[in-house]
Amino acid sequence: MAKVSVLNVAVLENPSPFHSPFRFEISFECSEALAEDLEWKIIYVGSAESEEFDQILDSVLVGPVPAGRHMFIFQADAPNPSLIPETDAVGVTVVLITCTYHGQEFIRVGYYVNNEYPNPELRENPPLKPDFSQLQRNILASNPRVTRFHINWDNNTDSLEAVENQDPALGCGLPLSCAPIKGLGLPGCIPGLLPENSMDCI
Amino acid sequence: MKLLKPTWVNHNGKPIFSVDIHPDGTKFATGGQGQDSGKVVIWNMSPVLQEDDEKDENIPKMLCQMDNHLACVNCVRWSNSGMYLASGGDDKLIMVWKRATYIGPSTVFGSSGKLANVEQWRCVSILRSHSGDVMDVAWSPHDAWLASCSVDNTVVIWNAVKFPEILATLRGHSGLVKGLTWDPVGKYIASQADDRSLKVWRTLDWQLETSITKPFDECGGTTHVLRLSWSPDGHYLVSAHAMNNSGPTAQIIEREGWKTNMDFVGHRKAVTVVKFNPKIFKKKQKNGSSAKPSCPYCCCAVGSKDRSLSVWLTCLKRPLVVIHELFDKSIMDISWTLNGLGILVCSMDGSVAFLDFSQDELGDPLSEEEKSRIHQSTYGKSLAIMTEAQLSTAVIENPEMLKYQRRQQQQQLDHKSASARETSSATSVAGVVNGESLEDIRKNLLKKQVETRTADGRRRITPLCIAQLDTGDFSTAFFNSIPLSGSLAGTMLSSHSNPQLLPLDSSTPNSFGASKPSTEPVATAGARPAGDTVSKDSVNATSTPAASSPSVLTTPSKIEPMKAFDSRFTERSKATPGAPALTSVTPTTVERDVHRQVVVVKEESLHSILAGSDMTVSQILLTQHGIPVMNLSDGKAYCFNPSLSTWNLVSDKQDSLAQCADFRSSLPPQDAMLCSGPLAIVQGRASTSGRQAARLFSVPHVVQQETTLAYLENQVAAALTLQSSHEYRHWLLLYARYLVNEGFEYRLREICKDLLGPVHYSTGSQWESTVVGLRKRELLKELLPVIGQNLRFQRLFTECQEQLDILRDK
Repeated sequence: MAKVSVLNVAVLENPSPFHSPFRFEISFECSEALAEDLEWKIIYVGSAESEEFDQILDSVLVGPVPAGRHMFIFQADAPNPSLIPETDAVGVTVVLITCTYHGQEFIRVGYYVNNEYPNPELRENPPLKPDFSQLQRNILASNPRVTRFHINWDNNTDSLEAVENQDPALGCGLPLSCAPIKGLGLPGCIPGLLPENSMDCI
Repeated sequence: MKLLKPTWVNHNGKPIFSVDIHPDGTKFATGGQGQDSGKVVIWNMSPVLQEDDEKDENIPKMLCQMDNHLACVNCVRWSNSGMYLASGGDDKLIMVWKRATYIGPSTVFGSSGKLANVEQWRCVSILRSHSGDVMDVAWSPHDAWLASCSVDNTVVIWNAVKFPEILATLRGHSGLVKGLTWDPVGKYIASQADDRSLKVWRTLDWQLETSITKPFDECGGTTHVLRLSWSPDGHYLVSAHAMNNSGPTAQIIEREGWKTNMDFVGHRKAVTVVKFNPKIFKKKQKNGSSAKPSCPYCCCAVGSKDRSLSVWLTCLKRPLVVIHELFDKSIMDISWTLNGLGILVCSMDGSVAFLDFSQDELGDPLSEEEKSRIHQSTYGKSLAIMTEAQLSTAVIENPEMLKYQRRQQQQQLDHKSASARETSSATSVAGVVNGESLEDIRKNLLKKQVETRTADGRRRITPLCIAQLDTGDFSTAFFNSIPLSGSLAGTMLSSHSNPQLLPLDSSTPNSFGASKPSTEPVATAGARPAGDTVSKDSVNATSTPAASSPSVLTTPSKIEPMKAFDSRFTERSKATPGAPALTSVTPTTVERDVHRQVVVVKEESLHSILAGSDMTVSQILLTQHGIPVMNLSDGKAYCFNPSLSTWNLVSDKQDSLAQCADFRSSLPPQDAMLCSGPLAIVQGRASTSGRQAARLFSVPHVVQQETTLAYLENQVAAALTLQSSHEYRHWLLLYARYLVNEGFEYRLREICKDLLGPVHYSTGSQWESTVVGLRKRELLKELLPVIGQNLRFQRLFTECQEQLDILRDK
């Protein structure tokens, strides 16, 4: 049973220019005081092709966390444009907020982000090399994709599974990763063995 | 009779396995399948009862949705008092829910719908013991026990007053146990299983009373559940699926002799659920008729796999009403309203039906007093009325004890009224926190947010507390989250004004006997904050690119960006834990007690402790009393005992005892673990996981008790070794309180004997009247009120009291 559940993530200052920092106001609830801090990260996905282009915009420890509801503002600088492949810069990408406890990720909140030129001219004729100073970033705050993972909140090892909290009406179907899902009858996996297991079940 | 099928009660098309109406009749719970998890939903009853309420948009239909179960929920049951909801599922867990009040918005974050929870229910306990799907749960008539049965062939009886204590595990079935019911008098519990038997167990000793097999000879395990039921007058027990001449029936078993002469015949497929109306009825008295004494009778509803429902009265040979094809799939569960006039039925097709009867049809229900009178006349004292603790009948023999008991009750009442006041004021505050509205806080948060840097330079934000949890089981929170228990060893040490611990730089040259020790504390020389204890935290979580990304992405063609991103939403990153910090090692040390100018430790070899492992000395401290303490990099701390010339282990970060120990209930209410002193500092931030350990661990309760005792005893001994009187007293009281709560009389006696010492003068006694500077008899006096809280120890209390009086008078 998760000790920490995210109540809300408010996206501040949206839409905003590409270079402005990301600002999220995160409220979460903790059912009992935590011994360690929570580690929150903002990850900007540079390109859907590969995780190589992911940029961890910032990583912050939150603590100490007593029982109750809490709120904090997570601010991170905009991503480094030079690390983003040119073909993927303009258009839809994803920003992720993850939280880990004891090194285990238990929640992942993802937002679609649309980068486009507000200027109609540039929109019609986009320059070959994207002009980030003219780009506007619009985070689809109304549709967060929340995935919760069951982790061990104490110190013994335990098995982990993914639970996506979303209804299928959005047409995305089953998650593409082969995280063990109830019903497939797979035993729980230890992190790090995930890729191997995914080979097995195919 | 009216029949209604409310369409809004559904689990999005998924099957509903269980339904139960709350004792106060205002809500009901359904349990079934959710998306990739089990789902428990609490619904408002009034839209089902009244059409106007159904049409009224302001009246909410769904009150709360809980998705915590990892797999399908098979059973939901309200406790008889209505305070708790128990749910059991395919994930082998039973969760006990309690209502919580709170402030603020409560949509379920991340769900696309406007899922607002009108009420908030919190899981207060998770019961782990079963090794297979939990099929049924049942509360005993007096709510003292919760029984659960599972496909692991066992029935487990939980102590409902002290979750998660297990009172008994009933093993006897050789097949999946699929249904449970309690005798309303409280003497028995009956269970039905796929092994073609119905077993009745005695609650007195939890042994098997009888096993009935004849009616089930021809049965196969064709149903998902076998919910059986006991009549409210205790006379009849009706089983689910039984066979008679190859026809499916529900067998009626009489309490006297467990005779099986009658059954309910008529269904064309196996009977899945039988539920008795909680009321006992008598025939409606017509006006003007002679006062004919009418025999009270019961009413029973039977649901079957053939999708039909039948309602029977035990005074009639034929059913009162039969409804065919009520659903598209098998009926799973039936629940009566407490007034006996309504039934809710749920089915595997994911819908529910509500039947509304009138008194003309069923009869006059008997009141509760009349019902208990029947129980008493037939069975003697009924458990349903009796209180559960045998000790409640103990006679208080000492007026002092009476005083303490009264005081305790008074405190409880005060506490309850205080918390009631708090919750009422809390709800009225709604959105105003500490005088500012939530809006203002939000605007100023970025400026006001407390940010610090950790030892390795990482940003650390202290979250702002906007609300406290309110089910009363949790520790209180402060705004801006001031740490409750002893702060990081590091931060304490770097403050010069704190004279309690003096770190000695371990790299100072170890020359003994030579130079004069300086009189000023060595602490000023750049005390390094102890970073070792937080090494676990400095996780350098870099997401290393996955060795093989999901196969879909390797296809060369351009994929729709949406689909490609989906895996990012659901895939975890891999975290690599940071390497533990290492410091240089010096196998021998010399420490000088600066104040007393005595060489305390002379070239003591640390080999005995350091041998055979990678540990290094990370820090050396000196307590106020001149006891050297040494922190090692693996989290252990040793203190030097001068009289024995040995190093004693005082604290171990990885001590499993500390993590298993649960003495939460023994903490004094005001004092929430605020004990500072050398021991607290050495142990760093107390691991609070231990406090909630009882709920999270699946160790048997006895083992839990043993580990807690061992842990507390260690703490007392550690405080003693560190010569910290304040903490010794704290831990001794805590230990004694735990013993009193758990009832360990022998150890308690030992403590009292040791503290009391010889009352009459005797030569040759080795008893010391003081320990770490505290007078033992004073300690005993402080212990007495604690002992006085448990009636069981009143003899001990009286003895100690008398002895102390004798000593005082001398």
